Order: sequence, then C-alpha cells, then structure tokens
Amino acid sequence: MTIETEELEKAVLVKVRGRMDAENAHEFEQACEQWITSGAKHLIADLEGLQYVSSMGLRSFLSVAQRLQSNSGSLILCRLNGLPRQVFELTRLIGLFPVFDTSQQALATLSWIPLLDG
Amino acid sequence: MDSAARRLTLPASVESVAMFRDFVRSGAVAAEVPVEELEKLDLVLEEILMNIARYAYVPEAGKAEVAFAPDGPGKLYLEISDWGNAFNPLDVEPPDFSRGLAERPIGGLGVFLVRSLVSSIAYRREADRNVLSFWFPAPGSFPKAGE
Repeated sequence: MTIETEELEKAVLVKVRGRMDAENAHEFEQACEQWITSGAKHLIADLEGLQYVSSMGLRSFLSVAQRLQSNSGSLILCRLNGLPRQVFELTRLIGLFPVFDTSQQALATLSWIPLLDG
Repeated sequence: MDSAARRLTLPASVESVAMFRDFVRSGAVAAEVPVEELEKLDLVLEEILMNIARYAYVPEAGKAEVAFAPDGPGKLYLEISDWGNAFNPLDVEPPDFSRGLAERPIGGLGVFLVRSLVSSIAYRREADRNVLSFWFPAPGSFPKAGE
C-alpha cells in the first residue's frame, strides 16, 4: 500500500493505492492522525488505486472518521470501486461516509459548509 | 478431506497471513478459480486467519492450518483449523447496522464479511480443533459457462 497526501485549501487529499490489510492498515490511520493532530478537519480519501481492503482496513476508516466527526470534521471517500466498494457496501459503511465519484465533487461539498471549516 | 489435499500449518499470527494467501493462491490458480474471485478468496482467508490470530489462543500462541483440494472445475474446497478453545465464530451476532457513525462499533465486521462472501461456510469441532469449511467460489456466486 502507498499513501500520498496533498494539502488543499479546505481539506487534505489522501491518495491510497494497493492493498490495505491487517499488516498495514495502521499506516493509513497514522498518516491521517498526523494531519488531524496538525489541525486538518476534513480528509478526502481518494481510493481509485485501492485494490483490496479487509476488515482491519475498515476499522481504520471508521476510527479516523469517528475522530474527525468528534472534532466537527469529516472523512470523505471518493473513487471507491471494485472489491473495496463491495466490501463497504456489504458492511453497510457506504451509508456512514460521504462517497463521491470524484475528488472535485467532494471538495465542492465542503465549499457549502464553511462553518464546519473553522 | 482426501489425500490429494494440500496443507500448510504455521503460527497463528498476522505475519503468517501472506504465506497462507500465497499457498492458497497457487492452488486456486491451478484449479482455474476465476481471476476476478481471487481477491475475495484472499479476503475470506485473511478475515478467518486474523480471527484465529487475535482470539483463538489468547494469551498463549498457537498454530493455524489451511488445507484445500480442487473440487471440480474452477472450485476449491477449503478447511481452516485451529487448536484453541472450542469456538464457533459463525455464532457471533452481526454488527448493529442501525447505529450512526459515532456509535458504530469498530469490530465485528470480519466474520460478517466472511459470511457474506461464502454463504455455505460451516463450523465443526473435531477432537481438539475448530474447523471452518467452505467451497470457493460459494455455490451460485458465479454463472457456469454457457449460462
């Protein structure tokens, strides 16, 4: 799994590629945690390159989202496809996270909620 | 399981999951399991093996065994065993999906995923071991040629 992050005006884009499994899911959580600690409220996870996610990965997504929500922020998912999308659907997580087809759509949503952006 | 079955026994730990995965993958490819199903098989294996690694032997360490045999074209029969206390993971209640994000429990999704992906999975206690058995792909999960 590789993780690249990019700071945007209203959010941090977190691009995840490869396989997120029991061995490495904590790396995603740690990468997000660093941004949250330094003040990021909204994270957009770009999952176009995510090929595989197991329940340990889902735990990381849930944990990051709960942490952000408790701070009036959000974890937004975009470009979720294939088996990872099926896994989010089967576990009914798809309804808990905002999910968009593109990162631009995710950003557009944030522009409508400036009060949450501190 | 007959003598044609292949078996691998390793410590029940997160580090063993990749070795089990490669072992089963080689058998799945040889049995011509459809390529698009292979990552689902990885997922089922990881969830079951992580469950064993995290809960079967606490606080001691123990081992896990994966055995498989081809069962007709494009299909494997698998058994995953541990020697921990008698425990049927299929009895675990599914997570409470009615809860919102803040209250959604973080655990309990692995067994639910396994049950969703391999509907025919079965548990048995055999002497001192727990055995989960299933066919992959699950019956009816992909159409036969010509359908």
